[in-house]
Amino acid sequence: MGIIVRDLHKAFGPKVVLDGFSVEARDGETLVVLGGSGSGKSVMLKHLVGLLIPDAGEVEVDGQVVSTLKQEELFELRRKVGYVFQFAALFDSMTLAENVAMGLRRKSDLDEEGIADRVDECLRLVDLEGYGDRAPAELSGGQRKRAGIARAIATRPQYLLYDEPTTGLDPVTRAMIDQLILRMSEELGVTGIVITHDMDSAFRVADRFAMLHNGRCRFHGSPDEIRASEDPVVRGFIEGRPELLEMES
Amino acid sequence: MQPLLKPFAMLGQGGVPFAAGIGRWGQLTADTVRAVRHVDVWLRLLLPQMARVGVDSVPIALFIALFTGIVLALQASYTFTGAIPLYFVGVLVGKTMMLELGPVLTGLALSGRVGANIAAEIGTMRVTEQIDALETLAYPPVAYLVVPRALAGIIMFPVVTALAIGMGIVAGWITAIQLLDMSSADFFNGLTLFFLPFDVTYAMIKATSFGFIVTSIGCFFGFHTKGGAEGVGDATTRAVVASSMAILVLNAFWAIVLL
Ligand SMILES: Nc1ncnc2c1ncn2[C@@H]1O[C@H](COP(=O)(O)OP(=O)(O)OP(=O)(O)O)[C@@H](O)[C@H]1O
Ligand SMILES: [Mg+2]
Repeated sequence: MGIIVRDLHKAFGPKVVLDGFSVEARDGETLVVLGGSGSGKSVMLKHLVGLLIPDAGEVEVDGQVVSTLKQEELFELRRKVGYVFQFAALFDSMTLAENVAMGLRRKSDLDEEGIADRVDECLRLVDLEGYGDRAPAELSGGQRKRAGIARAIATRPQYLLYDEPTTGLDPVTRAMIDQLILRMSEELGVTGIVITHDMDSAFRVADRFAMLHNGRCRFHGSPDEIRASEDPVVRGFIEGRPELLEMES
Repeated sequence: MQPLLKPFAMLGQGGVPFAAGIGRWGQLTADTVRAVRHVDVWLRLLLPQMARVGVDSVPIALFIALFTGIVLALQASYTFTGAIPLYFVGVLVGKTMMLELGPVLTGLALSGRVGANIAAEIGTMRVTEQIDALETLAYPPVAYLVVPRALAGIIMFPVVTALAIGMGIVAGWITAIQLLDMSSADFFNGLTLFFLPFDVTYAMIKATSFGFIVTSIGCFFGFHTKGGAEGVGDATTRAVVASSMAILVLNAFWAIVLL
């Protein structure tokens, strides 16, 4: 049923962040959302799981309008969604293995043995085998980020939201995470939204692109379409040419 | 501004105005009561929290009660010079520890220890998005964070308070027989003279309510933390100031209602 964002508005005090943003990720599709730093990508993503409430407009996930759900219904929906936080947001009072197990304890019917197996499997998928007993504080930024990914995929959710999953990783690990995102989509049919600044990984994982600019959707289309786009804002962003963006304003 | 009003003004600075703050704290309290039904979420967290609230606070509570008991006995005998029989030292130490100083001093000490600790911990979780992460993993944050802490406060404050009262009375007794030429019989005679079972109930009602107020205010300021390290520091200070004041107000409230 996918994810549909309709005319989303959000302001913090006088600061308007989203000003009528609309986008759609169809069932089984991976949508890459591009946009400058501070353009509101993380804010947009938080609306999809009800961490923020829209000022106007609505978000539909799995056929349900998120902001109208009762608490219990919202938790039901969240069981189907995995969220990778930009800054990992690991529980710092727990080990990595406990972090990854948290979602499983709540969202799955696995017994302790099943949970332990799944935790090992997920840590292996993000190349953190043997790190289960470490505390988050003992890890590098990139390792923490990968642990955050392991925690999000552990429950095998139907929807995965990745907030800059490869930022700060070396090229090899980055390619590995891209592979993982592809596998989630191909093998488990996950509907995904990936926020990224990294154009190589964007083109590796995207079925479609959207670009958030000045609070609105500036571009929405296929990888071929974005390559062919004549829009100076889009070109400036994917080619890293600030002069094109300046022309616009 | 009058210096007396300063603590109140401080509570109002930055984001949470005083009256609105009380409203939102009431909201959190209502949410907490409603979240108790998620037993599967909070049950396994209760024991560790009870250990933290209880065991960690026993030394400081006993320390305070020890010296309070000594001073109470000495001041009683100083005040009573001849006019009143010396066994009234036992009356004063017992009644004061039980009705007032045991619960209140313990409550104030724990608002500094437990309340600050809770506000800092939950505030850090807030600013590092760990509370958001809990939500995305389908945990109700109030059931996961607030309920076990509030219950631990409600259960453990009376226990710690009872120990403190016992320590204060023992300290008063030893002071009386060592420094005041009183016999143990005199002291215990006084201790039991005006004792009512209601004194214990009264002390425990106070301790229970202080346990809830300190933990829930700590959680409240933690939840509403904004910004980074500075925000966490701010939340911690506010939690201690607010819960100390709440203890004193509540203390007067119980005196008016129950005595
Ligand atoms: N809770 C909040 N309160 C106030 N302002 C906020 C809040 N969250 C985000 N903002 C503001 O919203 C704007 C967009 O933030 P957001 O984190 O979504 O950017 P982003 O597109 O994810 O940027 P980046 O690529 O750097 O992560 C920023 O200007 C930020 O200051
Ligand atoms: Mg962001």
